[in-house]
Amino acid sequence: MKRNPIKFNYAYFDGYFDEVLSDKEQDALNAWIKADIDHARQFAEATMLHDRMRAALVDLGKEQSEIEADRVSPVSWSQSERSIGFSLPLLGTAASIAILCLGVLWLTLGQATASAASRELDRIIMQNVRSADRTYKIFVEQTVTPKRNGMRWPTQEERRPPKPSLDGATLHVGENNRFVLIRKTESGTSFITGSDGELSWAVNPMGPVRVSTDLNRFNRDLPGHESSLSLTNIHDGLASLRRAYDVQLSSLGPEEFEAQVGESYRLLTAVKKPNERGPQRVEIAYESNTGRIQNMRFVHMPYGPDRLDLRMVLVEENPLPPKFFDHSIHHASDRPIEKE
Amino acid sequence: MDDNTRQAMRQWTLAQPVVSAYVTSVVRDFRDRDDVLQEVAIAVIESFPTYDPSRPFNGWAIGVARNKIGTYLRERRRSRLVFDDETVELLATAFEKISPERVQQLDYLHDCMGTLEGRARKLCELRYESDLKPAMIAGLVGMTANTVAKSLQRIREQLRSCVERKAALDGARR
Repeated sequence: MKRNPIKFNYAYFDGYFDEVLSDKEQDALNAWIKADIDHARQFAEATMLHDRMRAALVDLGKEQSEIEADRVSPVSWSQSERSIGFSLPLLGTAASIAILCLGVLWLTLGQATASAASRELDRIIMQNVRSADRTYKIFVEQTVTPKRNGMRWPTQEERRPPKPSLDGATLHVGENNRFVLIRKTESGTSFITGSDGELSWAVNPMGPVRVSTDLNRFNRDLPGHESSLSLTNIHDGLASLRRAYDVQLSSLGPEEFEAQVGESYRLLTAVKKPNERGPQRVEIAYESNTGRIQNMRFVHMPYGPDRLDLRMVLVEENPLPPKFFDHSIHHASDRPIEKE
Repeated sequence: MDDNTRQAMRQWTLAQPVVSAYVTSVVRDFRDRDDVLQEVAIAVIESFPTYDPSRPFNGWAIGVARNKIGTYLRERRRSRLVFDDETVELLATAFEKISPERVQQLDYLHDCMGTLEGRARKLCELRYESDLKPAMIAGLVGMTANTVAKSLQRIREQLRSCVERKAALDGARR
């Protein structure tokens, strides 16, 4: 009888969960599991731990938030400190980041010219002409609410009801401004907005599905629509960087790239010109040989009354299923539909 | 809420950890897993009147999950299933046989994860809260994808030992 040459153990199962096994290894795992019910049992037990880790971590995160809220609430911060959400540890971090940025700036000035940066930007734009569907994960690093002086009537944007957090949201984008943005509400249900290029739509956890022929109707939930730096159209956003931003190139990546991949990633930093709209700074980390963007960071990006620091990380670049950008695929078929 | 629904919810609450793990064994993306699980929960509550109480509830709920996984992946996602039907079937049987004591042991995981600090905690947050795979995590923490995968393995091993140790200690006290 032919023996299976691969020794299966927990490390192997972990490789399956983390999607680091090769196709051959995955096929071998499939064969190993079905060879014996005891193998299936071992795998099931490993999965139990992996599955529960997520729930345990979410619980711990909630507990930590509550502890921090209790710790912070008795402290009497001045109005200005409270309004922009600064804390002492954050100031320390901000100082470290400022020193790091100065260091990066010093290196940048020594290494790259604006014209080289401009050529790199063109190369990245060309790479992004390709219409592959992409999936990004969004992380909100900081939200700053600017202090307002005196009374004034809130803007239309400020009068909108609070939006589900963008932090942790998943953004799928396709060509022709098609997108699907999936955010989780506090209760854990999905709040999904999108556009198939002909209709824009919103699938609330409750109530009717809203559909509109105004393609901008539901893209206000994404920052960038107020300026010409739309997160759903990276290609056009990059083109607007060329006009409204000063672009600098560095062979060093942001802090997290320095230790990792050496020459394989580069960082392009774009700083907004005076009197232009949009985030103050955009950092683009991309693969130096292909120009493919790995992640983008937007610093002080307008979002309603707030300013966000957010990062978009490319998770996948593969064709999405047909009709993925159609609302009907994201809700039960019996949900009422309201045309606006 | 009528009695039927209340009973369905009670049974579902007990079965949910095993059904969730079963879905995770086949659908690795947590985002997809959450969506499938949500649909399974609704289907379990809605079709509870068809459940035969003389048979184990976990097995029935896992059967519902199997159908939902198939439908979901066909309609919405591009994820390739690694396991064939025979393996998925066998896994369903294996999950059905997981004892309630084994499920309960994993309650210690909360305490064990609470002891993780620094980079280990960060890696877990990125992997489990943000649902990122090692290749993506690598770009954010300044490690190679291989080192991230190995670190996650070590963390899980550490947690597994911690859970077993705590369960053994607790068993000895009783």
